[in-house]
Amino acid sequence: MTSLGEGFELHSVVHLVRPSGGRARNLESLRLWIAEATAATLFYHTVQCPLRHATSSELPADDLSAWVHGVVQDRETAERISFAVQGRAGSAADLREALLEVLEAVPEGDRFARSTAPEAEFVFLTAESVPIPTGVVAAAPAPLVEALDEAEPAVWFYHLIEEPWYAPGPPAIARWAREQGDPQLAKVLEEEARAGRGLAEMRRRVLKRWRQGRLRARVSAATRASEDERREAAHEAVVGLVRRITHTDEDPGRGEP
Amino acid sequence: MTLVAVRDDGPALLDGYRAAVGEGSLRTLAALARRLRGHQVVMVNSTSTGGGVAEILHRLVRLMNELGVATTWEVMPGDTRFYGITKTIHNTLHGWPGTLSDDDREHFHEMNRRAAMSLALDGDLILIHDPQPAGLVVHRRQPGQHWVWRCHIDLSRAQPDVWGFLSPIVSGYDAAVFSHVSFVPPLDLPAYLVPPSIDPLADKNRDLTPEEQEALLAPLDLPVRRPWVTQISRFDRIKDPLGVLDAFILARKREDAHLILAGGSANDDPEGAEVLAEVRERVGKRTDVSLLLLPPDAHLIINALQRRSSVVLQKSLREGFALTVSEALWKRRAVVASAVGGIPLQILHERTGLLVGSVQGCAFQVTRLLRSPDLRKRLGAEGRVHVRHNFLHPREARDYLAIFARLVEAAKG
Repeated sequence: MTSLGEGFELHSVVHLVRPSGGRARNLESLRLWIAEATAATLFYHTVQCPLRHATSSELPADDLSAWVHGVVQDRETAERISFAVQGRAGSAADLREALLEVLEAVPEGDRFARSTAPEAEFVFLTAESVPIPTGVVAAAPAPLVEALDEAEPAVWFYHLIEEPWYAPGPPAIARWAREQGDPQLAKVLEEEARAGRGLAEMRRRVLKRWRQGRLRARVSAATRASEDERREAAHEAVVGLVRRITHTDEDPGRGEP
Repeated sequence: MTLVAVRDDGPALLDGYRAAVGEGSLRTLAALARRLRGHQVVMVNSTSTGGGVAEILHRLVRLMNELGVATTWEVMPGDTRFYGITKTIHNTLHGWPGTLSDDDREHFHEMNRRAAMSLALDGDLILIHDPQPAGLVVHRRQPGQHWVWRCHIDLSRAQPDVWGFLSPIVSGYDAAVFSHVSFVPPLDLPAYLVPPSIDPLADKNRDLTPEEQEALLAPLDLPVRRPWVTQISRFDRIKDPLGVLDAFILARKREDAHLILAGGSANDDPEGAEVLAEVRERVGKRTDVSLLLLPPDAHLIINALQRRSSVVLQKSLREGFALTVSEALWKRRAVVASAVGGIPLQILHERTGLLVGSVQGCAFQVTRLLRSPDLRKRLGAEGRVHVRHNFLHPREARDYLAIFARLVEAAKG
């Protein structure tokens, strides 16, 4: 549940990680375990990776392709896995199918080749999600974006990546924005949620597109406003600009990434 | 007295942590804590002073109370024989040879049985740290309680006989917690992975002014003009001080620098003294290497040494979690470290530091860093952020609270 009456409550999330029991030592055992893995295991090794590297400006490598590249040393297969994961493939079933397709394209003999030492095996983990209502409830789209601006990466991750991955379709946060009469914000949230970018970049783009949209709306309104109203709007814009310029990444009081 | 009184004077921990991790993280922590209002947490370990677990508990217990989760800390009492047995358990779980006699096993249970009668274990969320008090669950578990065993030990090389003794006891818990996936033995209960963490407010990690650093380092008489390459570790073969020296000698042929090997005094450790003697011999008359023997409470000096270093090394051959890496990253240092134990979780290669697998690799990366202040700055900055998100005490507290919340809600169905 993410909405409270008319408002929308932001949720954070904690992932409790534990071994799932699977271990792969070559591409064939990786294939077999992926075929059997739960959605929470696939989630942890692919979709959840951006949260572990929340401040990275680039999308971090998923665990599977990182292991295939770094340990099995099959660069081509690693690249294909990365590509499959980057699209996040909509759902656990789609992702599993995409991953198996990549691994099944490797000739069977090659899948058994280059078995790793036991200490370099891929250990499958699983993530139990514990969603946490933050108590921050936005009553309208503008305060929602302000609250997101202050929110930690796990809040962005939960609403724009995790929730729609487990329940495919538009994110609940975007549906709420649309219901509140802000289809532009809903569109931005939906598009950025689908884009497969890292969290820092996703956050930056959502806020930038939202502010640009607001600016366009203000300019449009200003052409119809009185001189006093235009002066006040200009003052507000300058104050907002100064606030953004003086906000540094090193300030932990603000939401990261 | 078995109840530990945790100091709650001075500024609130939450205020200190807010400055370190940010309001957003604390808001999540507070929201999680609200879900556990009305519950009572009891932490149990075997000592209130000395050792990393006691250090962490002093902070965690206070932090959880500040968050509104009623938390107490009990210390399990024992006799000399019990401590001898638990020392054997500790060492054999780490992989050293040894075993427990039938009498040892009976005495272990007897002491846990007695402690179960004397400790205030009336909370509903019981977090037991390490093997010593693990048997309490057998003798004191009540309906409605959730028991979690937190193992701070690497069990990957545990003696099967000793783990075979502990394993049925651990099966009585609702969940177990380990620091790293490679430490987890086969278990028939959920085994969660919770990495350890450092305290940004502790003397070892708190901010130091340039004047404080100067005052702390001046008595050590270290060269001030050369960049420092530093490894802070006990003189132990698995920390590979000779490998560090070899790597430095190679790097030194290309760049000017000063190596500092700082570790604890080896008086009570015959093997450590032997390693130190070997290192001294290898150093010979070199003037570009300093060996520092530091007392156990030299936290501020270690802090200043790390802050003043251009490159921090952790070139271990084997490691547990190696939180010294997070300590250096928190100070925005460029770190070169081996890809062993928990180090790869802290060092993301080329992002938060540099991983190496050989003496030559270490020499190459040290040289590279000495030549590039920009690279040092970039890695240090990313390392600081990585530690802020993943390896500070508030994150560890958050994980425990999440495990408790999960257990409570699962019991409710």
